[in-house]
Amino acid sequence: MDLSYLDLLMAQQEEVAEAEGGGGIWVVASPLDGAVAPVALEALGAARTLADSLGAYVYGVLLGEDVTDLAQSLYQAGADGVRVADHPSLARFALEPYLKVLSALFEEEQPEVVLFGATEAGQQLAARLAQRLGGGLIEHVTAVSLDEATRTVQATFPVYGGEYFDIAACPEARPQFLTVEPGAFPTPFLDPYRQGEPTLLEVEPVEPAVRVVGPAEGFEPPSVPLAQAPVIVAAGRQAGDFEMVKRLAAALGGQVAGDRGARDAGWITPEQIVDVRGVTIAPELYVAVGIRGDTFHNAAIEGAKFIVAIHPDPTAPIFEIADLCLEADPQEVLPLLLEALGAV
Amino acid sequence: MRILVIIGRVLDPRGIVVKRQAGRIFINREEYVLQPADRCALEAALRIKDATAAEVVALPRGPLPDDDVLRQALASGADQAITLTGEGFDAAGDAVMARVLAATVQRLGGADLILTGATTLDSGQGQLGPRLAEALGWPQIVRAWQVEVADGQVQAVQQDGAGYVAVEADLPAVVTVVPGALKPRYADGVRLINVYRAEDAVERWDVSDLVSESMRQPLLEKRGQDFPPERERGTRLSGTAEEMAQAVAEPLAQRKRR
Repeated sequence: MDLSYLDLLMAQQEEVAEAEGGGGIWVVASPLDGAVAPVALEALGAARTLADSLGAYVYGVLLGEDVTDLAQSLYQAGADGVRVADHPSLARFALEPYLKVLSALFEEEQPEVVLFGATEAGQQLAARLAQRLGGGLIEHVTAVSLDEATRTVQATFPVYGGEYFDIAACPEARPQFLTVEPGAFPTPFLDPYRQGEPTLLEVEPVEPAVRVVGPAEGFEPPSVPLAQAPVIVAAGRQAGDFEMVKRLAAALGGQVAGDRGARDAGWITPEQIVDVRGVTIAPELYVAVGIRGDTFHNAAIEGAKFIVAIHPDPTAPIFEIADLCLEADPQEVLPLLLEALGAV
Repeated sequence: MRILVIIGRVLDPRGIVVKRQAGRIFINREEYVLQPADRCALEAALRIKDATAAEVVALPRGPLPDDDVLRQALASGADQAITLTGEGFDAAGDAVMARVLAATVQRLGGADLILTGATTLDSGQGQLGPRLAEALGWPQIVRAWQVEVADGQVQAVQQDGAGYVAVEADLPAVVTVVPGALKPRYADGVRLINVYRAEDAVERWDVSDLVSESMRQPLLEKRGQDFPPERERGTRLSGTAEEMAQAVAEPLAQRKRR
């Protein structure tokens, strides 16, 4: 099909113009590896949807050093206006310099809604600004809906790490601050024909209150017991090469465990046996390598959020409770998997 | 030196079952425990007390129907515990709590260090620490793994990418502690008995003496609950070993520990 006329049609679009007056939905973006952080673009997409229902404008704010060129990708993702604070003192995130720029901006612009990415920086900035400006804040938002009568954003956030979700809103307080969980919203379509001229903000350098001394030498985080580990890679009788299992665990930042078969093979200690008679676990991710999965083992991993099973036997009971099943010989798949994870 | 620890309680998740399909939460055993992150903050405060003979005061992070967690803090080694009560205070969110706690700090005659949990176990919100720092105009260190005090400065260890960095700030400051950062101590048995025997072990302060009513209006309103879809189990991957490895690499990379 010939779609060239579409390009022509879109090329006629005018430059994005900004509206006068306050309000609007604002998205604060920061650069990551020389591009706008993906979560900021996702937040812009969410902001665009909200703004279209509310009849509001979407503004992007970009802070950093040498970031003015990145403003165009905010326009492309749906911003109607972009403010850029480009200064060497903003090169690395530090609370006070960022806070000074943003609080001056928002005091003047009086936004209705402000979205941040739920990153370490975004969480700190959103909470400080919310308290300073008298706004409400909902963190780790995974979905939004609108109460149009009161122009209130209703935000969904996970409780007990996603067991269920609560929906909350700040009907009275303005601005409504939200921090958006990375990956929760789809990345918006980047329209290459949308473009605009960003407004540069004045930046006065401020000393950050927290000084980074250097790498924490000699600091070892406390070891997490297997029952509380967020990522576990377990080996079973069919695992083949235990070294590969260990390397997979290292690549995923997880702990090594196993079933009774792995204990019999002498790969693990008795404290590492995943079994209702051993350790019952509830990790975010559980990878069962060559574990057939008897009743005792499967009952012990019921709390796991995501289970990946690799076993050569298609009738292995582990496949009944796994989220992703690989009917393959671990010896064959693991090297390929490590390569795909970039951990060779 | 005075250290304030702000602690809260949480419904023990081991006692609840979430039925996603029915869209209901069944509470089999209603037992409240100290928020895990707050427990680590308390431990950090008590370690500083052990090293420098500081005074540790425990305060609630939200409205508390009972003062069990504060008594637990006393039994673990805190010197003083204050609970906050008042009319219409039950719905106070983090924004109101930050104002109330800031007023409490003034009433106490200041503090050198405020420690609290970086996030709550249930709602996952971490805004109380930064909000309190803002209300007081103090510097903040969030998500600390280790907290020490020396020469009028607080030194902490924070995660930075794959490694850890040491940071420092001048006192007074607010520091939030990561859950699981420190191995918390058990409350002393004898002290626990005495703390429960003494009815006035926990002081009661009325919030209406601290902040005006207009400053106590809750900002956040609950609008409902949502349940994730039931898990779809047993998606079988097909293809050659190489294709399967490629297909599984992405979901694994998404969920790996950062």
